[in-house]
Amino acid sequence: MDNTKTAGSNIPVKIKNFLSTHTSLVTFIAMLIFLGIITNGNALKLGSLQNLVVAEAVRAFGALGVGMIIITRGIDLSLGQVIGLSACVSASFAQTADYGSALYAGQEFAIWLPVIAGIAVGAAFGLFNGVLVAYGNLPPFIATLGSMSIATGLKLIYTRASTLGSLKNEYKIISQGFMGPIPYLLIYVVIAAIVIWVLMNHTKQGKSIYAIGGNAQAAKVSGINVKAQLMRVYLYAGILYGMAGVLMSARLGLANPLTGNNMELDAIAAVTVGGISHAGGVGTVGGMMIGLMTLGLINFGMTFLGVNSYYQLLVKGGIIILAVYMDMRKHARKE
Amino acid sequence: MSQQQDYILEMHNISKSFPGVKALDNVTLKVRPGTVHALMGENGAGKSTLMKCLFGMYKKDEGEILLKGEKVHFTSAKDALESGVSMIHQELSNVPDRFVMENLWLGREPMHRMGPLQLVDHKKMFNDTVELMKNLEMDIHPKSKMSEISISSQQGCEIAKAVSYNASVVVMDEPTSSLTEKEVEHLFKIINNLRDQGVAIIYISHKMSEIFEISDEISVMRDGQLVASKPASELDDDKLINLMVGRDMTHRFPPVDFNIGEETVLKVDQLTAANPRSFKDISFELKKGEILGIGGLVGAQRTELVEAIFGMRGVASGMIEVHGKHVNISSPREAIRHGIGLITEDRRGTGIFPLLSILDNTSIPSLDDYKKKSHLLNHKKIESDSVQVNKQLRTKTPTYKTPIQNLSGGNQQKVIVARWLMTSPDILIMDEPTRGIDVGAKYEIYLIMTELIKQGKSIIMVSSEMPELLGMASRVMVLCNGKKTGILSREEASQESIMRLAAQFS
Repeated sequence: MDNTKTAGSNIPVKIKNFLSTHTSLVTFIAMLIFLGIITNGNALKLGSLQNLVVAEAVRAFGALGVGMIIITRGIDLSLGQVIGLSACVSASFAQTADYGSALYAGQEFAIWLPVIAGIAVGAAFGLFNGVLVAYGNLPPFIATLGSMSIATGLKLIYTRASTLGSLKNEYKIISQGFMGPIPYLLIYVVIAAIVIWVLMNHTKQGKSIYAIGGNAQAAKVSGINVKAQLMRVYLYAGILYGMAGVLMSARLGLANPLTGNNMELDAIAAVTVGGISHAGGVGTVGGMMIGLMTLGLINFGMTFLGVNSYYQLLVKGGIIILAVYMDMRKHARKE
Repeated sequence: MSQQQDYILEMHNISKSFPGVKALDNVTLKVRPGTVHALMGENGAGKSTLMKCLFGMYKKDEGEILLKGEKVHFTSAKDALESGVSMIHQELSNVPDRFVMENLWLGREPMHRMGPLQLVDHKKMFNDTVELMKNLEMDIHPKSKMSEISISSQQGCEIAKAVSYNASVVVMDEPTSSLTEKEVEHLFKIINNLRDQGVAIIYISHKMSEIFEISDEISVMRDGQLVASKPASELDDDKLINLMVGRDMTHRFPPVDFNIGEETVLKVDQLTAANPRSFKDISFELKKGEILGIGGLVGAQRTELVEAIFGMRGVASGMIEVHGKHVNISSPREAIRHGIGLITEDRRGTGIFPLLSILDNTSIPSLDDYKKKSHLLNHKKIESDSVQVNKQLRTKTPTYKTPIQNLSGGNQQKVIVARWLMTSPDILIMDEPTRGIDVGAKYEIYLIMTELIKQGKSIIMVSSEMPELLGMASRVMVLCNGKKTGILSREEASQESIMRLAAQFS
């Protein structure tokens, strides 16, 4: 706002502003270039990038869901287990009928059934979380910690702690197919991101979600039905997790009790890196996606460079802490 | 010199300015030991500022403070407490789920050695507390939970804490505002006891009957100045009111042309809050085109009343009619649907969305009007309408995408007014519409109000500023302790008549 500045010194200011508002995008591009240089461009070949997209696609659905929840100042720890449960349920209806150890051996299901069932599982958990948080006034951390455990238990009970394999080819193609060089998964992610972007930016609901995260009291005074809106956010997130579960089982061609483990960590880390503030009310869908790709690129790059996966965990933890630290410095509210 | 020894606390020539206001102007206050010294004045007269200067929460610009004849300079409430000057706040700050004794000795727990460890000596803590309570003739068990004892007992604990620091001066800010009559009696017993032990008590209150019952001397503040310091025996209600309000009105208000219609837009009948400590049996009518002022002192439950009308607080009984139709308002959503808007008193807490843009802050309650057939929002129209309303109100902002937290208080308030104008309400409730904004912005808010009534809208304005009520309201309803004590017409309303009603019950 300082008018006394000369035109010349405005350019660095502009660059500085751009850097501070697009930190995550700049970081992502810088990392991409860095990785390209140290691998002589090998990491940026089409095949490698396809692998990256496929690996991150399922997580993207989780990130979109939990990203919306974090914007309301909430959190969802059940994400990974709900995705896992939904993957197991959908897989159980997609096993080939002549596979002896199939859960429903000898039974033939329509191809849409596993898809619907998986999404329904996610939606049910989303609704459950939403009711607990919005109407039960449970802190989101505790409510979703509980449902995380419930989902884990159900997953083990339902699968009888064994792997559900031998999925039908016409089911697997949902995730494994390509349209030219473009994996189907990328198309789904782009569609989902666009839908959520429209929801968040072009509907009353989206505006209400930002308002609730920004100041829930003021939102109520402004006539927003805070409880109903909060519940819907958790429900939408659950639907996204359900889709993630379906896509995951189709991509892997199986599901087992370990499916989905720790995915909540990755998704929360991704959106945090992407600038979704835990102080609430701040964040964009673009940011969520960039954060996801950044974290994906770090994993992918370290694997590509042959870094031991145990060390990758250390790096990931450090990045999460750093991202939240930066976020809190930027958005922490003054008491 | 001997004259000075009579006083335990002397504040000499204290001045304090904030940007745009002189909050304290050369104030001198002297307090004798073993007396209750009442400090009175309208909201905003400077009582709290003076006390904050005493406790070092504000840095005084000029003046000096003597305690027992020695110059002191406190940097915090804790610092003052250690020198024997204690403050008991209106809002108690204890740890509710811990024992009384733990609260009393918090941060300075008696310790004893056990082998290599320094542990808290609970036995000594208990015994010290028992003794302290006995001295003050208070019947509070050291192992009661703070949350389980009455508010007057909680205040008693605060007083006991002060005594345990050997306090020689105790400041009480509105100590009876949330007490029942019985509890007040209890508190006064404790205060009398304290006075007999030679402690000086500075007693800040609005309630005149209480003041005359408890105090030995009375000081009155007005507009940042100390206008009188007299023995209580030389004063009565009328003299006190005159001292508190005696000031001339300046041209701080635009001329208001009331064109009040016949139609009753809002009728409130026997409204009683769900909270028994809040308002009771409030009835009033609001006509088309009028500004109904609601006056009263701190604790009169004015905010609680308007928030209940707006559906933010529970109502036990009573009825509300909008345009002659009985309505049931249990949430702000419904209030808005019935054409009511509320600009809340707490702009930060319940008004702004700090990080969201001016556009979002303006449009949020009226988004339903901007849905296209596809349910998507018509951003262009939102922007043009929001900008238009804000321009009308002369909101100053670099861009309309700027987060509202970057604006000044006055401009934030204009955005909130714009927000409610977008919903085109028939009834606009403004709770302290000019709190915390500068004089120029105040005038603009008043202008907007006159514009609104010209358009046939009706306004309810809660205000703690007497001149604002007199300058802007067509009628003034006065509350005191949750009860309606009267409605004054514009002709009847004066600082004296309002103050009389505002301090009626004790």
